[in-house]
Amino acid sequence: MVEVKTAELMASVLSKHLEDGDVAIMGAFSAIPMLASRLAQMTHAPNLTYIAGGSGAVNPLLEPLVASSCDDRLLKAEAVLPLSDVIDFEARTEIDIFFAGGLQIDKRGNCNLLGIGKPGEIKFRGPGSVGLPFLSRARRFAIYSMNHSTRTFVEKVDFISGPGFVDGKDFPGGGPSLVVTPICVMDFDEERMQLKSVHPGVSVDDVVQNTGFELRIPDDVPQTGLPTEEELELMREIDPLGVARNSL
Amino acid sequence: MRRLYLILSEGRLMARTEKVLSAKEAVERFMKDGCFVAIGGMHMHNNTMALIREVIRQNVGIGRLITSPSGSVNADMLIGAGLVDELYCAYVGMEHLGLAPNFRKFAESGKLKVRECDEAFVTFTLRAGASSMPFIPLPRGLEATSVPSMNEEDYRWTSDPFGGEKVACLPALQPDVALVHCQKADEYGNAIFEGSKFNDFLMIKASDKVILQVEEVVPHEYILENAMRVDVPAFLVDAVVNTPFGCHPTASHRYYRYDEGHIKEYLGACKEDFDAYLDRYVRGPKDNEEYLEVIGGREKAKELMEGGVPW
Repeated sequence: MVEVKTAELMASVLSKHLEDGDVAIMGAFSAIPMLASRLAQMTHAPNLTYIAGGSGAVNPLLEPLVASSCDDRLLKAEAVLPLSDVIDFEARTEIDIFFAGGLQIDKRGNCNLLGIGKPGEIKFRGPGSVGLPFLSRARRFAIYSMNHSTRTFVEKVDFISGPGFVDGKDFPGGGPSLVVTPICVMDFDEERMQLKSVHPGVSVDDVVQNTGFELRIPDDVPQTGLPTEEELELMREIDPLGVARNSL
Repeated sequence: MRRLYLILSEGRLMARTEKVLSAKEAVERFMKDGCFVAIGGMHMHNNTMALIREVIRQNVGIGRLITSPSGSVNADMLIGAGLVDELYCAYVGMEHLGLAPNFRKFAESGKLKVRECDEAFVTFTLRAGASSMPFIPLPRGLEATSVPSMNEEDYRWTSDPFGGEKVACLPALQPDVALVHCQKADEYGNAIFEGSKFNDFLMIKASDKVILQVEEVVPHEYILENAMRVDVPAFLVDAVVNTPFGCHPTASHRYYRYDEGHIKEYLGACKEDFDAYLDRYVRGPKDNEEYLEVIGGREKAKELMEGGVPW
């Protein structure tokens, strides 16, 4: 069997989280979610719709997968819409699953792309909040992070770009449902992040050491299920250039 | 009908105004110091770089800048040249290639005033501007983020006059000038996006003046034959700037891809000597033709279309 790259493991986990009939959306820097979405269409979710961010492309064929979310190769798709229409879908709660990330992510699933510091004293300026404020209007959202450290996974984010679970607010969205990192998979219990599985070669203690808040740890933490050989073959077909595969 | 007949019968059909200008002329004519500028394209695609470089050559100060919503080299270069006072920031970055160094530096040092926003802000404020709504209420959700509290100038709260709930509102924005890239236009400004349309038509509708940077000027007959595909009618357009390969180092959809090597060179230069970059690639060449010579000629475009048009 060929070696499974961490990015492929993450894509296969995200793929399994997608259901037939879902409408999924992703933003900048989304090679892994795009790979996961196309894989899901090929394996178990033929009626999945996915929208590749700012390109406005609906169900791009990914022949092949490319790095930029607005690349013209994504326009080989079923439809290409102006971005303002895509924003309407986000606002209308037509989106079942939103892929999100952040410079900081906290235990309630809040994501921060704005910066590190305090208002008026931003020490590290992030790129900006982009589409994350509408996380509160997606039926659920999955967080993927290209690193897992105490700097990324923090007790409380410095700024909220994308809201996770919010006390006393009644939003149309269902909140965060899954978190996938290069070392583990997490989900939520009573609106707090909890460990779900650890990737091969990673211990529960490794995850605890690299997480900046008290992560809920269930009694039984299995190893993350590996992609099947068929899934791996499909992923290599979708991503012959290794854009997602070699992104970690 | 009678009037039209008279005009025709007297042979008084007038020639239409051609709007093809050089980048230099268009920037001189339509951009005033301190103006409010909207720039189109998304990430490293369809950035009007030939116009951006000309703005830097002419040293035109920009009072406010809005991107549509994801700014890239376009916003970062203007900021790095010290020309931008305020930025509506939904996103400025280089996507998988990294953060935008000038934007970071100027924002962190306080030299750039950041008006914090998101992609819905860009879309809805321009939508309001495009139809002269006085302001626009937002769907619920934003109040759970830090964004409105970081920008109290642009987010206001009111109660829904129908349901009574508290809602966030945005002002209608009408930029003084929009810089937008279309692949094709005729000499009057009827234009076609050959790839993604992004938010660019919304930006065109909201803005007072529109400068289109195009890959090619097509005959008016081409537009008449393809009217169903025309995205921008000429009456909205003030200038057509014909600069093949003018989006470099960003992509022009279905014409050429972004130049990753050059963007990496740019990112390196930002950390070392950005002025040297500007001298070599922006202030040195007098126009886009000379710029192309500096980056290796039009052959470069062929290299950047390896793999061809995707269908």
